[in-house]
Amino acid sequence: MKDWLSRYGPSLLVFVVLLAAWEFATTNGYLKPYRFPAPSKIAMGFVEIASEGFPEDLTIWVHTRTTVGRILQGYIAAVGLAIPLGFLIGAFSTLEKLTAPLIIFGRSIATLSLLPLVIVWFGTGELTKVVLIGYGCFWTMISNVIAGVKYVDPVLIRAARTFGVSGPALFWRVILPAALPRIFAGARMALGVGFMVIVGAEMIGTVEGLGALIMEARNFYRSEITIIGMLVIGIIGFLIASGLLHLEKMLIPWDTGLDEVRR
Amino acid sequence: MSNRISAKDVLLGGIGTLAVLVPWEIAARSGIVDPSIFPSPILAISSAAEKLSATEVLDHMGWSLFRVFSGFLLGALAGITIGIVAGWYRTAGYLLRPMIELLRPIPPLAWIPLAIIWFGLGEPSKFFLIFLGAFFPVVTATYQGVTNVDPILIRAAQTFGLKGIDLLVRIVIPGAAPDLATGIRIGWGLSFGVLVAAELIAADKGLGYMIMHARLLGYVDVIVVGIVLIGILNLLTDGMIAWLIKKGIGRWHEV
Amino acid sequence: MSTDAGFIELNDINMRFGLPAEALPVVLQGIDLSIAQNEFVSIVGRSGCGKTTLLNIVAGLVEATTGTVTIAGNQVRGPGQGQGVVFQQHALFPWLTAMGNVEFGCRKADISKSEKREVCRQLLDLVGLSHAADKYPRELSGGMQQRVAIARALALDPEILLMDEPFGALDELTRIELQQELLRVWDARKKTVIFVTHSITEALILSDRVILLSPHPGRVFKDYQITLPRPRIRTDPAFNAMYQEIWEGLSA
Repeated sequence: MKDWLSRYGPSLLVFVVLLAAWEFATTNGYLKPYRFPAPSKIAMGFVEIASEGFPEDLTIWVHTRTTVGRILQGYIAAVGLAIPLGFLIGAFSTLEKLTAPLIIFGRSIATLSLLPLVIVWFGTGELTKVVLIGYGCFWTMISNVIAGVKYVDPVLIRAARTFGVSGPALFWRVILPAALPRIFAGARMALGVGFMVIVGAEMIGTVEGLGALIMEARNFYRSEITIIGMLVIGIIGFLIASGLLHLEKMLIPWDTGLDEVRR
Repeated sequence: MSNRISAKDVLLGGIGTLAVLVPWEIAARSGIVDPSIFPSPILAISSAAEKLSATEVLDHMGWSLFRVFSGFLLGALAGITIGIVAGWYRTAGYLLRPMIELLRPIPPLAWIPLAIIWFGLGEPSKFFLIFLGAFFPVVTATYQGVTNVDPILIRAAQTFGLKGIDLLVRIVIPGAAPDLATGIRIGWGLSFGVLVAAELIAADKGLGYMIMHARLLGYVDVIVVGIVLIGILNLLTDGMIAWLIKKGIGRWHEV
Repeated sequence: MSTDAGFIELNDINMRFGLPAEALPVVLQGIDLSIAQNEFVSIVGRSGCGKTTLLNIVAGLVEATTGTVTIAGNQVRGPGQGQGVVFQQHALFPWLTAMGNVEFGCRKADISKSEKREVCRQLLDLVGLSHAADKYPRELSGGMQQRVAIARALALDPEILLMDEPFGALDELTRIELQQELLRVWDARKKTVIFVTHSITEALILSDRVILLSPHPGRVFKDYQITLPRPRIRTDPAFNAMYQEIWEGLSA
């Protein structure tokens, strides 16, 4: 408890002081309330959006569910496609060289620049958003899977061979575990991409979802709701990312963390 | 990991690319897919050329590049400065870290409405968004780099009498450079993504605007050309930054 | 060798880590040492006997809980009082070339840039690396890195050279080479050296004096004067007898 306080205490204090200063500045007219809605107003806005919803009947929970649902659909499809494809490409160097330019280029395409094209193809409905998220996640994921497989330490493979391990067993028992840290790193990055894309994608052609919420709130001069939406997006992104990190630690306890290995 | 690219690799890459482009071209020309919805690359370029002049495209491109460079430059500079200060000075770290940690998970695009509220629909709000896209990755990477400098290097420098600002400038900042470089590349990628989104939503110039406007006119070919152009610009500028980084620190640090 | 005893004086050094709570393990206890100018002293002991801590205290990088260190009568209050340090890992600045690292060590303000360059070139020459001046640390082998580290420490023109297992991470052949090199440098530049090692052979090859520390807590257990003539030969029976004596001390 004492450790916790000395570690986070100063930060917490700074935070509280900042909020108080903000509140004071807004209520006393130093800051424009529309541009910088006071923390108290944000809190009231949260009560409103959690119970009545904004727009009418669309509570923050509905928006959150919608957004997370869209992300997950695109994300899971992308990851599910990228892992087997990435393994295939990473395992055969000829295939890797054949596809290298496509993958580099596919990754370089700014996902949101596809928005107009995807609208032409699929309209402004759900599919468009899921496709965009899927696209963004896919390339991030596949380049990491390929790199993970391609750069498995050859010493490990040679060592396994001396024990007579080869073929599918080599894949399952050596290559897959060795590539896992990189794959997880990719999965985390891809999720970040997904969050980035969804916010942009939801700003067009929908009133549901957190991206739509923050845009809609601005149109109605409800800046406090915009800020709530932003915070919720941040919190969800943070929670899912830490969940994934947790899963990673559980699944690959031997990993020292990619960050520490590849500096 | 710096494998050299051989002629054979280039050849294989070329074959792979053609293996995708040629069937696509054939499908579009033979009418298996509707070329007005899935235009083939060559068709798209030739028909887009009729609708757009080169000067127009260059003008859009110039605006996009100007926006992304200016926003990125300031965002990265701010990120480096704040990252160093927060990482090196304990008190500053206490003040700045919670704010950075709180705001960092918010994707830059989620700032769009607030940017409009604060700065209106014009250039400043786009600049602000791109600034944020660069700022967060750079500030985090710099902070990490500064706090992770090998303590033995700091000790070694102390044995030569270095302290205070000298220690920061001569040891900590160069020691943080590799992390900083990573942050800069991530920041560039994000800035670029943000640029496109910002131009899609509110702009009257720029490549993002060009493709969004083409959608209204139903010019799928222009959209495709625009997407490819944005992709190429992204690739080239990222390559350029990677090259600069390699030139700067590649000899002493494996990039 | 001992011209004026007490060039470096350690008076009742005690060290515990962390807060001064009684419960914490004592790392060093009651260390009293007196080292003469130009003396080559090795500190030998098992892992955890506080060798490195002791060296860091003399270097001024770590403050002892109680007790004082004086160099030529001046109390050590921090690094940069004429102590050059060579660390276990080379601790070279990766962003500077070999030359850059040595120049970093040369902190004389009163000489011109070209003079400085000349001094550093001579130092690189002294450690046999003038050909590698423009190479970065990662382009050098482990032995070369450690040579640069020695040159860098010498660039400070220190009266004292503190070395913390500097050759511990090197292969046997390189280590022997560097030991000879170090003796040559020591002979040429006349420094007082405190050399931490866990190799008895290394200590015997190099030193005028070997100090044996006992662990938990770290205390001076034995102090051997090594009078064997130089250059010392590993297969010499007198050398082996001395080795045996220290080994028995270490095993006690």
